[in-house]
Amino acid sequence: MNTTIIDSLQDNKRLSTRELLDLIYEKIDLGFNEFKILASGQHDIGGPLWTKDGVPLVFHVTNPGQRVGSMGMKGTKIIVHGSAPADAGWLNSGAEITVLGDSGDTTAHCCASGKIYVGGRVGTRSGALMKHDPKFPEPEFWVLKNTGSFSFEFMGGGKAVVCGYGCENMTSVLSNRSCCGMVGGVVYVRGNVEGLTADVDIYPIDEDDKNFLLKGMKTFLDEINKPEIYDELTDFSQWKKILAKPYDKKKFVPPYSISEFRKTKWVKGGIFSEFFGSDNEVIELINTGENRLRIPSWDNNSKTPPCEFDCPVSIPTQKRLSLLREGKVQEALNLVYQYSPFPGSVCGQVCPNLCMQKCSRKMVDEPIKVAELGIKSFENIDLGEFKPTKNKTVAIIGAGVSGLSCAWNLLRLGYNVEIFEKDSEIGGKLRQVIPEERLNQDILNIELEILKSSILDSQSKIHTSYNVDMDEFIRLKDDYDAVVVAVGAQNPFVLPVEGKERIIKGLDFLKEINKGHKFSIGENVVVIGAGNAAMDVVLGAYKVGAKNVTAIDIQKPAAFEKEIEAAKALGAKILYPCFTEKVTPEGVYLKDGKLLKADSVVIAIGDRTDLSFMPDEFLNERKQPLLNDFNQSTMAENVFFAGDSIRQGLFCDGIGQGRGAALNINRFLTGAPLQKYQSNNKIQPNEVKECYYKTYRGTEISGLDTLDEKDRCLSCAGCRDCKMCLTSCPRGAIERVEFENSDGTKGFAYVSDEKKCIGCGICAGVCPCGIWTMKSQLI
Amino acid sequence: METIDTTSISKSDLKWQIEHNQEKCTLCGRCAAVCTMGAIKADVQKRRKVVSCGDFPTPQVSETTVPVIKQIVTSSKNCVGCELCAKVCPNEAIKPVFNEQNRMNVKYRALNAESPKRGGRTNLHTEGRTLDKIKIGRISQMTDPSLDAMRHTFELLAPFGRVLPPENLPFSVDEKGDLKIDRKIPSTRWIYPIIIGDMSIGALSPRLWEAICIAVAYLNEVHNLPIRMCTGEGGVPEKLLKSKYLKYMILQIASGHFGWNRIINSMPDMVEDPAGILIKIGQGAKPGDGGLLLSKKVEKHIQEIRGVPKSDLLSPPNHQGLYSIEESVQKMFLSMNAAFKFKVPVAIKVAASVTSVSVYNNLLRDPYDIVGGFFLDGIAGGTGAAHETSLDHTGHPIVSRLRDCYNAAVHQGKQGQIPLWAAGGLGMNGNLAADAFKMICLGANGVFTGRLMLQIAGCLGNDFGKCNACNTGLCPAGLTTQHPILMKRLDIDKVAQNIVNYFLATHTELKKLMAPIGNSTLPVGRSDALITVDKNVSERLGIQHVC
Repeated sequence: MNTTIIDSLQDNKRLSTRELLDLIYEKIDLGFNEFKILASGQHDIGGPLWTKDGVPLVFHVTNPGQRVGSMGMKGTKIIVHGSAPADAGWLNSGAEITVLGDSGDTTAHCCASGKIYVGGRVGTRSGALMKHDPKFPEPEFWVLKNTGSFSFEFMGGGKAVVCGYGCENMTSVLSNRSCCGMVGGVVYVRGNVEGLTADVDIYPIDEDDKNFLLKGMKTFLDEINKPEIYDELTDFSQWKKILAKPYDKKKFVPPYSISEFRKTKWVKGGIFSEFFGSDNEVIELINTGENRLRIPSWDNNSKTPPCEFDCPVSIPTQKRLSLLREGKVQEALNLVYQYSPFPGSVCGQVCPNLCMQKCSRKMVDEPIKVAELGIKSFENIDLGEFKPTKNKTVAIIGAGVSGLSCAWNLLRLGYNVEIFEKDSEIGGKLRQVIPEERLNQDILNIELEILKSSILDSQSKIHTSYNVDMDEFIRLKDDYDAVVVAVGAQNPFVLPVEGKERIIKGLDFLKEINKGHKFSIGENVVVIGAGNAAMDVVLGAYKVGAKNVTAIDIQKPAAFEKEIEAAKALGAKILYPCFTEKVTPEGVYLKDGKLLKADSVVIAIGDRTDLSFMPDEFLNERKQPLLNDFNQSTMAENVFFAGDSIRQGLFCDGIGQGRGAALNINRFLTGAPLQKYQSNNKIQPNEVKECYYKTYRGTEISGLDTLDEKDRCLSCAGCRDCKMCLTSCPRGAIERVEFENSDGTKGFAYVSDEKKCIGCGICAGVCPCGIWTMKSQLI
Repeated sequence: METIDTTSISKSDLKWQIEHNQEKCTLCGRCAAVCTMGAIKADVQKRRKVVSCGDFPTPQVSETTVPVIKQIVTSSKNCVGCELCAKVCPNEAIKPVFNEQNRMNVKYRALNAESPKRGGRTNLHTEGRTLDKIKIGRISQMTDPSLDAMRHTFELLAPFGRVLPPENLPFSVDEKGDLKIDRKIPSTRWIYPIIIGDMSIGALSPRLWEAICIAVAYLNEVHNLPIRMCTGEGGVPEKLLKSKYLKYMILQIASGHFGWNRIINSMPDMVEDPAGILIKIGQGAKPGDGGLLLSKKVEKHIQEIRGVPKSDLLSPPNHQGLYSIEESVQKMFLSMNAAFKFKVPVAIKVAASVTSVSVYNNLLRDPYDIVGGFFLDGIAGGTGAAHETSLDHTGHPIVSRLRDCYNAAVHQGKQGQIPLWAAGGLGMNGNLAADAFKMICLGANGVFTGRLMLQIAGCLGNDFGKCNACNTGLCPAGLTTQHPILMKRLDIDKVAQNIVNYFLATHTELKKLMAPIGNSTLPVGRSDALITVDKNVSERLGIQHVC
């Protein structure tokens, strides 16, 4: 050993840390390898130092400053005689450092190799961040007594030994919260320990540990000059070791999962179980069965198609075409007769066919040729007999379309009727005033004949030229099970203008013409009014020799386009708005002073009913009947009204009201509640899919046979059995089933299997007829 | 053909438009089956082509009718953009797309004569979020020791209840030298600085409400986080009232007083006191407007618990019988303190307003020591149902108002005596811890959060017009619905787990924010820790302006 002594106080002057360290460097270069350093607080004594020839360095230090032995290297030995301040052995990389007294805070901080022996206690955070690089020997850190708080914080490797010598009364030789964040290495400890963090666990020591301690303890005690306590410190009953929790066990593992908590600790069954039970079933977003948001329903014939809805008689034309599709031709053609006795005269000719105004086929091309269908029914009439079954008789006053419709429907229901008609013939205005140009008289006569014979054949009666006065009305009301007032509107309106006596009443005029009477009304004729009746007057005027006919109205003509065109085709002019001032022999003066020359002036602005044969209490102040919603008299419950006696309307209105009265009389006489005669459940246009159908041109349509209309019909609200739904269902949930009806006929239905259906609504979306509807289970 | 006119509604008017790719679609029907709004349906369309294939014009018609998924267009109930259709589609063939050009604001009103209603939050983002302009800028490094968030101990506790200043503590020393308390002191609970609140049964589905309760109980019992939940004003199920978990529940009383009959009658059977009582005066999302539970959501259990028939339930915008601040304090606070024999602290919640400081100053007098907290709710708070005009156009941002209240207390030297709790859009960007921390530094003792819980629980909506259908009773995620099918979409255990997880993460994050500024307890009022690059924010809040 080549020893030198360095006194850091020279001439009573303290060497700075640099001056002291420079001296050490010089002396190492001069070949000294053993140093006795009388320090006075200088830092960093002892490292990192080495000799060129590898000769070990030894430092005996008294009174060092901080970081004695810091970054010390293998081959360096440092003995601090007395205590050391903070950071002794900081970043120790192989040196052997002995502090014979106490050592300050952060002793052995970050040390990664070498050995550190402390013969007293160490301060806070000692051993923090110790680690072990496998390329070098494991660091060891021996402490005779105890450590401060937070020691071995973040320790990653190496061995620390805290002997707890003389600390038996302490509650914790590692003070508080030591080993915080420790991930590796081992801390051997003798004595009480508490306040460790959750990062570590305490274990008993095993044989390997004992061997290490036995061997190391001897060296340690020798180094700190206390070999005499060897036996005491190797009583292993007091030793334990601290290890970091394994990485995978470091995470806090709850003692029970949420699910277990809910099932075993939480309010039994759940806090809402009184309302919902304890069912905690969680459903998928897509479900079958009762958890579907929407459920399909095959609602065949449950809605009203527009043809039936818009027809005042509610004739189910879609059903007629549906029967045709099923090949039941005669059944299809007969169906209309269940509603109206006038398919040829009214449906086929004079009716404006309101049923076709909103025919779904109009979305494709033109509506169904319903007039031709009426004629087809007329041509193929095949009716059975009506047999009275009810033994009740209904008196019907008036044999116009509404009275006859009512009689027809009552006969079908098994009632006897007795008709009282003022005129000598039945048929009312249909026969009296409609020009033959508009109504084939042969067809009309046949239909009236069928009616007449049907009535008479079923032991019912028709009284013609029969005038019902007030006494007679009272008698009918009292003697018959029910009375239907269907006297029509026979009193034309006239204008209260100067010269009104010159005006011919249109109704009278048309009646005369239809009776075949020939008479002249001159060349120039003005018709006041431009409704359908006025157009009939125009036709009549030309028929009896007029050359220039002008129809005037105060507003846009109310006549149907067909009627206006027929009139115009004959040369008629239609003027509006025209307000009549007076009628003179010259013609009609308008309020603006203009004169319309006329040899004759005819008025056709509507007719009024005449109910003067009824007691006043049946009528309002305008002499109209007092009715409820079912056209039943509010004065006598067996008196019903139909046709123009209620208000002036179309022939189809009269037929519908006649049928409505018949149905309600049946309900009345059988004690059933009365009903309004119209469905309110109309299918919406967007429920019917017109895009399935090809658009035909006009000539293609006119070339089609009437019965081929079955293919053009969109079959609104009635299943056409096309299987679009069955084929489209993505779940294969729909089947077609057949069954036998109670009347022996075969029926079919489509059914959706709730075990397969997810409620997507594709069946409803593709259904051409609007049969499938989705019933929402949501709000 | 449907009638089309320019005043009616069409697809281009709608907020959300369904984009359907027919090439990819297999018509499996899942999208239509899942849509709670009934906003889409299957339909058919015609494809028609006239082609010529010959050497000279040879017209041939090809007509096919193909099935499609079609958007339903109505004036009031349309696609809300929840995207469930896209989620269930196996082929990515369908999705809703937000229509920037929509005209619904005009159309809805013009066609329905109705004020639009919805749930969610304000959807107008005319000003940025103040909290996003604030950073925690005072980092303890060489000036003072910082802490390690992961390893050191922190105490995250906030007071719910009246805190007496030291000079008012009735302590004395008896002849033996032991400390004694001379008179009863107000009950104060030290709880986690984040309260889940206050969403009613009725607003939420029973499953979601229970899932939150379970999460709260679990956080307390297993993770030792003293989280509390406010029940909202829709009453409390009896089974919960009579369970030991009542101790985690802050009962709410609002203007409708719904459910209090059951609460009162359950008192003899209660095994624990509730955590507190919150008097709700107003709500930040719709200040000045009362509760609004549309009849679609008033199912049988709601009718029973609330004691009402099926109808739209409108809570009055004010408490009948309370006409002034003084009266609120003396009457309402006193009654609610007395309800549980002065053992349960009582706080009050109001919507943030330009008058908040006056109210707080008044409360601070509190001669009877019965005011246990002042809850301020800002404009960006959520709601289950409100008129859109209230949601978007009424209210007050929370940050400066909370700060003002804190400063007012400081001015009197009374900070901390009546705890300040703040809410209103906290956690809006997903990070509740950062928002809470900043609010605490500005003077809040704690914060409360509601809408965030829905988002954790699987809410499909956002604050930019997506979904917001909480009011309809048709919540596609089963959160804000009372419908027996829809609520079954919610898995109580999973939702509770997600809420627990969120709080565990938030707990870590709060510590991560506390450590750098060197606080191991909540840094209430430590505005020195905050900085902002926004000069206005700096001046208004009195925090350091940096650039």
